[in-house]
Amino acid sequence: MNQKNRKISVIAGGALLLLLLPLVAVLLEETYFISLFSRIIIYGLAAVSLDLLLGYGGMISLGHAAYVGIGAYVVGIFFYHAQEMEPIISIPFIMHGSENALLVLPLAIIISGFFALVIGSLCLRTKGMHFIMITLAFAQMIYYFFVSLEKYGGDDGLSLYSRSSLPGLDLSNDLHFYYFCLFLLIGFLFLVKRTVDSRFGLVVRGGSNNERRLKALGINIYRYKLVCFVIAGAGAGLAGGLLANQTEYISPGLMHWTLSGELMVMVLLGGLGTLFGPILGAAVFLLMEETLAMYTEHWMVFMGPFLVLVVIFAKRGLFGLLTGEQNNNG
Amino acid sequence: MAERLLEVVNLNKSYGALQATKDLSFSVQKGHIHAIIGPNGAGKTTLVNQLTGDIDSDSGRIVYKEHNITQLKDYQRARLGIARSFQITHIFENLSVAENMALALFAHSGHNFRFWQKSLHSSSIRDKLPEALARVDLAARAEIPAGALSHGEKRQLEVGMALAAEPELLILDEPMAGMGPGGTVELSKLINALKGSVTILLVEHDMDVVFALADMITVMVYGEAIITATPEQVRRDTKVQTAYLGEEA
Repeated sequence: MNQKNRKISVIAGGALLLLLLPLVAVLLEETYFISLFSRIIIYGLAAVSLDLLLGYGGMISLGHAAYVGIGAYVVGIFFYHAQEMEPIISIPFIMHGSENALLVLPLAIIISGFFALVIGSLCLRTKGMHFIMITLAFAQMIYYFFVSLEKYGGDDGLSLYSRSSLPGLDLSNDLHFYYFCLFLLIGFLFLVKRTVDSRFGLVVRGGSNNERRLKALGINIYRYKLVCFVIAGAGAGLAGGLLANQTEYISPGLMHWTLSGELMVMVLLGGLGTLFGPILGAAVFLLMEETLAMYTEHWMVFMGPFLVLVVIFAKRGLFGLLTGEQNNNG
Repeated sequence: MAERLLEVVNLNKSYGALQATKDLSFSVQKGHIHAIIGPNGAGKTTLVNQLTGDIDSDSGRIVYKEHNITQLKDYQRARLGIARSFQITHIFENLSVAENMALALFAHSGHNFRFWQKSLHSSSIRDKLPEALARVDLAARAEIPAGALSHGEKRQLEVGMALAAEPELLILDEPMAGMGPGGTVELSKLINALKGSVTILLVEHDMDVVFALADMITVMVYGEAIITATPEQVRRDTKVQTAYLGEEA
């Protein structure tokens, strides 16, 4: 099983790179790389959650940024109210703001998951092009809702002044924050990998390929797709919560369809249905943005053709090129 | 008097002006291999899709084990023990052969909201999986993606998946379509071996296969059942000869 070994070494190499990168950055006194790669890890997490929909569930969602944005706003709103010493809601019970990561990040996950449940339960009644458009429509509705929220900065968004607090770690320290994000990414990958290989995952992957056959076997795919949609939304919510911390800033831009599109590009670049590929995709996308943007603000002019080449010539994206993998999900 | 497993009463389906099935009535005895034959465009596949719930019927009744199932959805009918193969092969091309079979086995053993254990290691199928693969001669091909199988093997897999659900009524929609002579013999043997243990509704073009296997035959012409009888009677029937050979002086 040469190919299997090759895949394992690619993943191990990637993991080692991410683990050691901050140390090298500190040695070279290029600490800027730590925050750049924090961003890559967070976008990677969001892209992995989207891959669950695109690559495994066959659900082409063009509104995935909505859940990233909701996660970010949960962290942001709790932070804002903690700063202002003003309860978020006072009826029917009083709920205070908080800066505690152990509270706000799980809340970001739960609330994003809840939104995914409501939105997904409606969107999943449609298929194909309709599904794409309706996920987009919901995301844009949420975008405009937050644009209209004057209290939280409306169009301009909100600055957070500091990061969430976490017992034992100082998240304001870029090094601590980096490893915290990496830890969460690895945890999320582990969960998604188990899910994809499980009985539940088998049903979802089967449904993406041949829904009619699944029905003939007596399985109603709707509920499974919905749960998959919720898991993906929750993962995006976590990424959003981290992103709010990383940039110490939230704005409705996080929910805009352009971010949904960028996440999709990351998944396609890295490799659809490869689980680890989207992280590679996020890295390549953000590094290209970072370097090309130094020369021209129209860096997409280079990104576009590059994406076209990858999609045409590498069926399983850049990750597939590295591992020599051609098909079979997982 | 044998027990009646399936009864179709005055079933209708039209697509605009085209009446695909027209006041169709027949019944299938438990344990029989019941064949449906008819010239191209007679509405055989429409009938199959109406029986499995893939398409809704305009009017008429489908009675299965004394229950009216006409209003049930496709996956609900599948749970009652109606399994099918499709005329055009429907398998999960992106999954491995073993995973395909596992899905079929899972469908009839509780819910699928199990997120942790690896699917192929699940205790509810671990014992049954090798057996189910062996039954359709695919044990050696378990690891490869189903999309890479030959046409005949895909057919075998599909029939195997339909059987994995341990159905009471197995509907095979042109299982021999596109198969070479060798494959036809293999599949005929498989179907014959099932005789008695499961009721089979066989829709088929290959007359040799039909007359060799079937206990009863229903002949469809332009959406209507013109006769339901034993192979001997069908062979001698003048209406059938006319339908197949055209009106000759």
